[in-house]
Amino acid sequence: MISLAKEDIRHTLGKFIVTAMGVGMLLGIVLIMMGVYRGMISDAEVLLNDLNVDLWVVQDDTLGPFAEASRVHEDLKYTLKSIQAIDKCEAITFQNLQLPLANRKLAVLAIGYDVYGEINPINYNRLIEGTVLQNDHYEIVVSDKTGYKLSDKIKLGRNSYKVVGITHGTVASGGDPLVYISLKDAQELQFTYTNKRIQTDRARGIINKDTHLVNAIIATLKAGYNVDIVAQEIQKWHHKNVYTKVQQKVVLTRNVVEKASKQIGLFTVILIAVATIIIALIIYTMTLEKMKEISIMKLIGLPNSMIIKMIVEETLLLGVLAFIFGNIFAHLIYGKFPKNVVLELNDAWLLFGIVVIASIFASFIGVKKVINADPTVAIGG
Amino acid sequence: MSNIAIKVENLYKSFGKGDTLVEVIKDASFTIDKGELVALVAPSGAGKTTLLMMIGCVDTPNSGQMWIGDEKVYDNKWLTKETRKLRREKIGFIFQAHYLIPFLNIIDNLTLLPQSNGTNDKVSKAKARELLKYLDIADKEKAMPSQLSGGQNQRVAIARALANNPQIILADEPTAALDIHRSVDVLKMLKKIALEQNVAIIMVTHDDRMLPYCDRVMEIENMGVVFKDSK
Ligand SMILES: Nc1ncnc2c1ncn2[C@@H]1O[C@H](COP(=O)(O)OP(=O)(O)OP(=O)(O)O)[C@@H](O)[C@H]1O
Ligand SMILES: [Mg+2]
Repeated sequence: MISLAKEDIRHTLGKFIVTAMGVGMLLGIVLIMMGVYRGMISDAEVLLNDLNVDLWVVQDDTLGPFAEASRVHEDLKYTLKSIQAIDKCEAITFQNLQLPLANRKLAVLAIGYDVYGEINPINYNRLIEGTVLQNDHYEIVVSDKTGYKLSDKIKLGRNSYKVVGITHGTVASGGDPLVYISLKDAQELQFTYTNKRIQTDRARGIINKDTHLVNAIIATLKAGYNVDIVAQEIQKWHHKNVYTKVQQKVVLTRNVVEKASKQIGLFTVILIAVATIIIALIIYTMTLEKMKEISIMKLIGLPNSMIIKMIVEETLLLGVLAFIFGNIFAHLIYGKFPKNVVLELNDAWLLFGIVVIASIFASFIGVKKVINADPTVAIGG
Repeated sequence: MSNIAIKVENLYKSFGKGDTLVEVIKDASFTIDKGELVALVAPSGAGKTTLLMMIGCVDTPNSGQMWIGDEKVYDNKWLTKETRKLRREKIGFIFQAHYLIPFLNIIDNLTLLPQSNGTNDKVSKAKARELLKYLDIADKEKAMPSQLSGGQNQRVAIARALANNPQIILADEPTAALDIHRSVDVLKMLKKIALEQNVAIIMVTHDDRMLPYCDRVMEIENMGVVFKDSK
């Protein structure tokens, strides 16, 4: 049996492939968009997963340091430690810093932790050079994205910090690289004012010496305790907001990256709609170009089904080919994006399904043209 | 089985209505036998193509009766829902231009219609090769239409019209684009086909020199059909 679609495409192969490549680039962008979304979600969860603690105790009525400013007293950690269910418990700070580079500044998120404490936020699997912090002063561990090398000195606030370790793949929920400093240094950077400010504050009668603040207390539970129940208990007795890891994940995806992901989602939907319209237009013009042949086929008695089969097969082939080109294109360029782009197989399959459905939908317009074609137009009445 | 290929009675055809009504065929009645080559001659706009398209079950008459072979196909309305199936199985078409499918090679152009009728690949190819040989273009089966001359393509078009073993071949000015020698060749070929394949052929022509090769000459006069001597 002759395949009309195959023969027609063979006849205009170059044109068909170029068209598929064009649509493919559009689909490639759709894949990248999906990848940007995935990257955002996975970036957002890096820190949460690296810490891997059961409870986050944060300032009353706040969502915690991932979403907003949260301050609690450092000594809360001792109170919490005395609770039966708590295994390990540490204070932690989050702060945005501008890291000085050669000729510009780089926004990073600094994590402050107790160097001698029980919970270390640095994931050893991500440590590619050097060590974690060894001393509780003037040492820093940086993400490789910052460009700093081991033993480099970085000036922050009043002091100079020595790079003792380099990590890879450590980013904050916004995509900024992470750096790690000791809790004491972090408190100094975050809560200590300049001498001038202290002078003017004193002149006004403000004496604020309380630098023993942190952004959250994190804790793990002993085996056999229910996270939700312990969280409720602490919340009730200490007037703090307490989140489990699962709840923090929800905060991250809902409150932190939700707008960005909605934006990307909308872009993706629009791009898919545009791709569908473009495929439909291509099929329409491809059908128009063949109108004479189609009316001849109808005139000599070829059934509609054969002609429709040709149109639908060509549309599907265009869609599938464009999808393949799109994947190739996306894999070629995704590494060049500044933020993390994660191409997932499931997303590709989802797009494949959409492309197939869109192609079938797009072919309707050509099919309608075939059904309505007058068989006598070709011979001029 | 009778020897009648086409029978038409009281056929009426007009286009439009009211002020724009154009009557083309008012009352046509005739029969054409199998094996006959009939010329259809009339001035431009007289309704030759219209008549051919009605016999070919492409255009719908307003009223009348029509038979193809022994089968009554039209009685003030089509008696089958699928006129296209009638065309596919019983009728071959030839036009002034070859109208081959440009993206199919010669043999695929010939086997397309028979295959859509359910004839298998092998049988339809064998028949196509036989026809190409019959029309003296056997060496071109793998060529594309664009690689053939006008005369060669017209022969392929004739072969295509024969490929589905039709009972009737309808040819609308098949020689208009050819020079006199090629035209005569085509006429001789059509005559041979009519006799050997036992099909009825109606051929529209404006060229009086073609008439001696035809068995009868049919004219459209006063919106009806009359037969004249071909000699
Ligand atoms: N679809 C249509 N709508 C309206 N009028 C039509 C239509 N088709 C044909 N006609 C009219 O019917 C008449 C016969 O047309 P037809 O094409 O059959 O003539 P013809 O004898 O084949 O002419 P020619 O020798 O120029 O091909 C013409 O007056 C034409 O204008
Ligand atoms: Mg005509």
